Amino acid sequence: MSDHQAEDPTGSEPTSKRQSPSRSRTSARRGASGPRTVLRRARLASADGLSEPTDVYVRGGLVEGFDLGGAVDLELDAREQLVTPAFIDLHAHLRDPGQEVKEDLASGLAAAAAGGFGTVVSMANTTPPVDDPGLVTDLVRRAELIGQARLRPAATVSVGMRGERLTDFAALKAAGAVMLTDDGIPIADAHLMRRACEYAAELGLVIQTHSEEPRLRADGVMNEGRVSRELGLPGNTASAEAVMVFRDTEIARLTGARVHIAHVSCERAMRVAEWQRANGAPITIEVTPQHLTLTDESLRAFDPVFKVAPPLRTAADVAHLKEALRRGAVDNIGTDHAPHTLAEKERDLLEAPFGIANLEVTFALLYTRLVLTGELPLAALLRLLQGGPASVMGWQAPTLTPGAAADLTVIDLESELPVQGRSFKSKAKHNPWEGERLRGWPRLTLVRGNVCYDREAGDR
Amino acid sequence: MTGAATDPAALPRHRHLLDFAAWSAADVVALLGRADVMAQVLTRTIKKVPALQGFTIATLFFEDSTRTRLSFERAARAQSADVIGFAAGSSSLKKGESLRDTLRTVDQLQVDLYVVRHPAGGAPYQLARWTDAAIVNAGDGRRAHPTQALLDAYTMLKRFGASGGGKGAEGTGRRGAEGADPERPFAGKRLTIVGDIDHSRVARSNIELFTKLGGEVTLCGPATLVPAEFGEVPGVRVVARLEEAVEGAHAVMGLRLQQERMSAGLLPSLSEYVARYQLTEKVMRLACEGAILMHPGPLIRDVEIDSALADGPRSVIEEQVANGVPVRMAVLYTLLVGKG
Repeated sequence: MSDHQAEDPTGSEPTSKRQSPSRSRTSARRGASGPRTVLRRARLASADGLSEPTDVYVRGGLVEGFDLGGAVDLELDAREQLVTPAFIDLHAHLRDPGQEVKEDLASGLAAAAAGGFGTVVSMANTTPPVDDPGLVTDLVRRAELIGQARLRPAATVSVGMRGERLTDFAALKAAGAVMLTDDGIPIADAHLMRRACEYAAELGLVIQTHSEEPRLRADGVMNEGRVSRELGLPGNTASAEAVMVFRDTEIARLTGARVHIAHVSCERAMRVAEWQRANGAPITIEVTPQHLTLTDESLRAFDPVFKVAPPLRTAADVAHLKEALRRGAVDNIGTDHAPHTLAEKERDLLEAPFGIANLEVTFALLYTRLVLTGELPLAALLRLLQGGPASVMGWQAPTLTPGAAADLTVIDLESELPVQGRSFKSKAKHNPWEGERLRGWPRLTLVRGNVCYDREAGDR
Repeated sequence: MTGAATDPAALPRHRHLLDFAAWSAADVVALLGRADVMAQVLTRTIKKVPALQGFTIATLFFEDSTRTRLSFERAARAQSADVIGFAAGSSSLKKGESLRDTLRTVDQLQVDLYVVRHPAGGAPYQLARWTDAAIVNAGDGRRAHPTQALLDAYTMLKRFGASGGGKGAEGTGRRGAEGADPERPFAGKRLTIVGDIDHSRVARSNIELFTKLGGEVTLCGPATLVPAEFGEVPGVRVVARLEEAVEGAHAVMGLRLQQERMSAGLLPSLSEYVARYQLTEKVMRLACEGAILMHPGPLIRDVEIDSALADGPRSVIEEQVANGVPVRMAVLYTLLVGKG
């Protein structure tokens, strides 16, 4: 591990760093003379669109330079397709430990790489919840062995996610936790939220919130509105989200803590969050692919694949979220990848669990639905998956300049292919976009300079 | 009752009855006409015909119900179908098993038609995707209870006597239906439904069917139980005051008020509900002359409806139950035989 990577948290791995104090800058530089790979005919995204085809040289896990020539150990062909820094997902449920029937670190991180993601923040609502430094250490160590997308674990705000007592934030941070969140369960107790924010602010940790007022959300399984009334399904009002976004952003302002509002799904909540930020609340805003592409009308199919929290909202909400993206009001796209087993999703709409598995479809979906339709420039979409999430976390924006981590993805912007869940690396194959023809599929993903995903060759 | 009802070409051909989305007004009118034929069967000394001999009907009840299941079983057996029953209360259908796995098991028994009741809205749609058998929705969550709406429509047609133009659904026509649209037998009629609309599948199905057949629906109850969005449906209005809601109605329907609405904070107290929304003879006098009183049961006496009214001449509550059998006979026959 180089110091360079330590400065760039997408590359730092605290436990190994602690365990390997002898690795100095010099030896890391020497490490950079390891296996050398060239990615030929890469077209890099720039302000003016895509660059002329360029050969990108990678050595020792870092970008070495462009069009350098010389002997290489591995030659890859980008075929004049887009080559861009691998994406960062601040919001993925990898279900490990304890829920490996839904997903595990290996399948989840492979799914991430297949989606073009090089770094994933894993949610902590596992079994047991990640509320203990030992669990964080274990996750980090196992992810290193897997060698797929980089794992940056989140830990819980409260012990057991019970919303009663704070976890040991400092110890969790030291073990490698980069974010604190009880995502999946809103923090009902405003007092606990305040103390969490005060404590996290001092440590410089980001608190991510699942902002839904639990009593107002009640037993809702879909958005409350005309469709839920008609279908007779219990509704979850957008006001439940707006109320809680106000509380959480107000506590952020009060305490100065860095609060990241996860999965803002509706116009009301977005307006509240933006107003609070404009008035000094140190918050950031996340939106998911599903809330940008699906509405509550989907529930007319009576298929729990569309059951997600917060729920799919109205067409007007989707339009407002897209408009917020265009204005630059959104900091990042977080997938909220939330895999479940098919059997769980074949229960009825009251019993089936909330969540959509989407790591592998996110970029193609948003590229097709937003960029190809002219609603969002490609550069803006890339920012929401690269510099945007990095900035939320206080990390350096990922780049492909010499010396940067060789985390990159090659994206085929031309081929139009249907979504095929059965080819997902994720254990969850069912998804709301099955069969939809999309463009913008990641074809090749390198993390630390190693090929983690090759659409044509399968796993490496 | 008429020749038209037995003409197979005039009958709807549907594999499922999940709600009325896939049923035209003409389909429903023809089905109600067939119910008339079935009602005749039930007046015979031997109340049984071999129409469904050799068919197997399974009642798949994921939620407790005695009355609806009995009515369906009676309707099936009166046509000589074999009936097998599954109840969620028994150990086989426990929470946690996927709906599809439950169906997989039962489907091995060569069932031709499932009568399904489920606490979750949409569950019959899910089942319909996974089986080749026909499905009759016997109530899914708050969403739909189409056979209840059919028997309510049948009961109203009988009482209103304005159904003569229907394909066979003559009812007890007091006057001819010259010029009337046979597919809009409830044109000019008003049904008022009072009480817990939001949690009621009976209300939703009645709204869907009564408006499909040309009538207008008025909904009344406390705002916590009657969301304003219902008023956005064409042919439906939401009225806060009971007196205003009942005024000019041809039929008034009370709904069951569940005790848990109080504990959930949706209502302050039973006495406040009774004071504001109980149906009494006094308020019924504001309705049309001869207006009928309906209730899908089970009735909590002196809460939703004053006892004297429930037992009085306006009440058709027992007729509703009786009409459930011929209407469900017609549904089963239509889906199993009428599907060709």
